[in-house]
Amino acid sequence: MTDDLFTPTIRTPTAPATPPWRPESIVYPAFFGGALAATVLGAINAHRLSLGRGPVLAIVAAGLVLFAGRVAFAATIGGNTGRIGGIVAGLLTWGVVNAVQRKPFRAYLQNDWQPASLVGPGILAAIGSLIVEVIVIAVAR
Amino acid sequence: MTTSAGLARALALVMASRPDEALRELATLPASEAVQPQAWYLRTAALSQLERWAEAADAARQGLAAGGPDPDLLCLLAGAERELGRLETAERALLDGLAIDPQHVDLLCGYARLCLQVRQLDKAAKLVERAAALDPHAAPVYAIRVQLAYAQGDDRTAQQIAREFVAEYPEDARAHAMLGSTSALRGQVHAADSGFRQAASAEPTVNEYAEAALETRILEHPLLIPVRPFMRFGTIKTWVAAVVVLYGLRMLGLRALSFVFALVWLALCVYSWVVPPLVRRWMTRRWR
Repeated sequence: MTDDLFTPTIRTPTAPATPPWRPESIVYPAFFGGALAATVLGAINAHRLSLGRGPVLAIVAAGLVLFAGRVAFAATIGGNTGRIGGIVAGLLTWGVVNAVQRKPFRAYLQNDWQPASLVGPGILAAIGSLIVEVIVIAVAR
Repeated sequence: MTTSAGLARALALVMASRPDEALRELATLPASEAVQPQAWYLRTAALSQLERWAEAADAARQGLAAGGPDPDLLCLLAGAERELGRLETAERALLDGLAIDPQHVDLLCGYARLCLQVRQLDKAAKLVERAAALDPHAAPVYAIRVQLAYAQGDDRTAQQIAREFVAEYPEDARAHAMLGSTSALRGQVHAADSGFRQAASAEPTVNEYAEAALETRILEHPLLIPVRPFMRFGTIKTWVAAVVVLYGLRMLGLRALSFVFALVWLALCVYSWVVPPLVRRWMTRRWR
């Protein structure tokens, strides 16, 4: 019986050198740190999930656009709206990260591999991202 | 082939998920029976139940050498090889089996499971479709449909199929465990707890179910009630709701109220990070 479905297509995946984080967890640094934190963590995680160039570019592009929008908003009309712009941009970036990485991460889990802890890198990324954001907004004004 | 009393007892023990006793029974068979294909099949099945995958794969190979290619045994071999992380070998076993019997539901489901693991969702979906057309109400078909929906990121459908699975097989531990885990994904703590508890009581020897039951027991702890919204609605929706309230209050000019809300929210966030691990540690120490 000739059947396309019954032709071999499986190649044993190799476990990544560094395990990925849970894409869902990136929402925390995204909330506190904003778009940059989500972009950096999302891009690293896409690499760890070996997603190839397309998804990484999508995450970086979305993150940079949202970050630019956030800075423009803060520097122009959003005078005293505080962190809200940063939060919205961060959460939207995380939305892109999660949309791209949810399924690959589930496939990763199906191999009985464990995710890495995001606590340390997440806090670092959030603080770093906040500092950069404050400086860039100050300069833009 | 006539089945001897010893083989029949071993078969009954395997079906009752008592693999240790099945192996003991198989060890007492006379030499002529011990090398029969059916004995190898039961040995492989018992070793698989014990998750002794390397030995299970060996037993399957010896059975295949003794009795020639057999779809059921190839299916067990594929399962063991998959657990050992040798996915190409698993695929070869599945394809060998499907070459003999292209309508073997277990083989089709096993192949779909393998495809899910390597992110070949389209192929997995086609295999599942074929298996479901052959026998829509088979337990492995329900199980693989739940896994497929999960891999596709569709938690609602996964839970729905798990519910159908439980309705069709109320005695099946795996069905309850799947309803438990898909409910947990959707943050439905009570349903998750009941699913895992029923799985653990149907199959008390399976560690996985007992551990999951313990895990959801922890989530049901009264101290974790404040954390429930995060689990029930998901982190993102809870956060968005909090932000909306926070800035809504601010826009209405209620700065003081907004400040109080922000403090409460911050406290809840800290609580949701600190308390669950403590409760888990405390409860597992009490029970072990």
